[in-house]
Amino acid sequence: MTAGVFAALLAWGMVTGIDLVSFLQVMVARPLVAATVAGAIVGDSMSGVLVGMLLELYALEVLPVGGARYPDYGPAAVAGTVAAAGGGMAMLGVGAVVGLLVAYAGEGSITILRRRNTRRVREAAASLDAGNFRTIQRVQLGGITWDAFRALLLTGAGLGLALAAQRWPPVSPRAGILLTAVLAGIGLGSAVLNGKRLVQGRGGAAWLGVGIAGGVAWLLLR
Amino acid sequence: MATPSVTAFVRSALRLLTVQAAFNYERMIGVGLGYASEPLLRALPGGREGQHYHEALGRAAGYFNAHPYLVGLAAGATARAEHEGVPGPQVERLRTALVGPLGAVGDRLVWAGTLPAASAVGLALSAHTRAGVGAAALLALYNVPHLLLRVWGLVAGWRHGTTLGRALAAPMLRGSLTAIGPIAACAIGFATPLVANRLVGDLDLAAWAAAVVGAGVAVVVLRLLSPRFGALRLALVAATAIVLGTAL
Repeated sequence: MTAGVFAALLAWGMVTGIDLVSFLQVMVARPLVAATVAGAIVGDSMSGVLVGMLLELYALEVLPVGGARYPDYGPAAVAGTVAAAGGGMAMLGVGAVVGLLVAYAGEGSITILRRRNTRRVREAAASLDAGNFRTIQRVQLGGITWDAFRALLLTGAGLGLALAAQRWPPVSPRAGILLTAVLAGIGLGSAVLNGKRLVQGRGGAAWLGVGIAGGVAWLLLR
Repeated sequence: MATPSVTAFVRSALRLLTVQAAFNYERMIGVGLGYASEPLLRALPGGREGQHYHEALGRAAGYFNAHPYLVGLAAGATARAEHEGVPGPQVERLRTALVGPLGAVGDRLVWAGTLPAASAVGLALSAHTRAGVGAAALLALYNVPHLLLRVWGLVAGWRHGTTLGRALAAPMLRGSLTAIGPIAACAIGFATPLVANRLVGDLDLAAWAAAVVGAGVAVVVLRLLSPRFGALRLALVAATAIVLGTAL
């Protein structure tokens, strides 16, 4: 991997990291988007799409309500794509595991950032209450800056893990296929369960069933 | 009553894109609401150096939490109330009253509706079209309503002020809330077989069996343990078992 590609991946991971909460929230942080772009950067679009699809199934379970903690799948998808690139279906599962580990670490990093923000807000409480715009601006823009730093570190660590996994795969190609299949199965099971929960009341299973029937019919008739 | 300029509304709308930047456990997104409201408060009597401006801005930066895309409703409504000279404690009560409804409506409309629906369409397209089409569809399907919702919120908040409840009772919003859940569930259902076919369709029988077992275990375990123990953790446990199992 060239330094230019590495820098582009770092920058992209950082953008997806701040998009999750701090800035824009236009969903470039979704694994399907983050991994697809990462795949294009590393020159293996197909690995990017497949890693993105696999991690997107897991991201469907995230419901970021209130002060909930949730994984950071943007940098995770970037790292997962790098791990899977060029390895076919045998490395897809390894890429997904790298992605899931980074997403999990990202959850912890978001909590640390929020605690840091809380300390800054406590320190500036009197000035905030007095309606001092400079203080509000400093706290607000400081939050974005620290989140960008968090996302950069997370992406960097994820890329390190991904390159290590690519160089020293933790499983044989045969076990890699098994890993891919099991992770796809868990992701699909989770997606179905979460799809059912989207409908209030008792109609969830029916709507989900209609969709599944449509999908199966499409596969059979295309 | 002096009305803020169009530039002030545009500035406020842009700042709303950063509303969660300083998310914290003390004031939640209150600082972000203050930051986004500030351009609308500049036209208060006395201007930026005036007492009214500072008092209003101090109130705006207090505790607040809601769905981030609907914070514009609160920013517009409270700024309008400040311009109309509504007493400070009443503005505070308005803010407090908005926390629950704006959170509930936004969570249902966006996090449990538009986002999973757009994601499912992106997944379905990714499974059977060229690379990038699914991701582009996800972004387009999600961001058109997302950005419209943000702009509508700010404008409707300013228009309704303290009678903001009318904006939340708009037929379009109510209809969307009813329809979006079934649409999202149906879209996820449609995407599921397509994604399964793409991810494991070309694999051998043993891998297919492993995927079916994985899906079955996920449904059972997650029904019992979610949200404390979600799919991510289950996948990491399964991956650890496979890596260790094949190494031994």
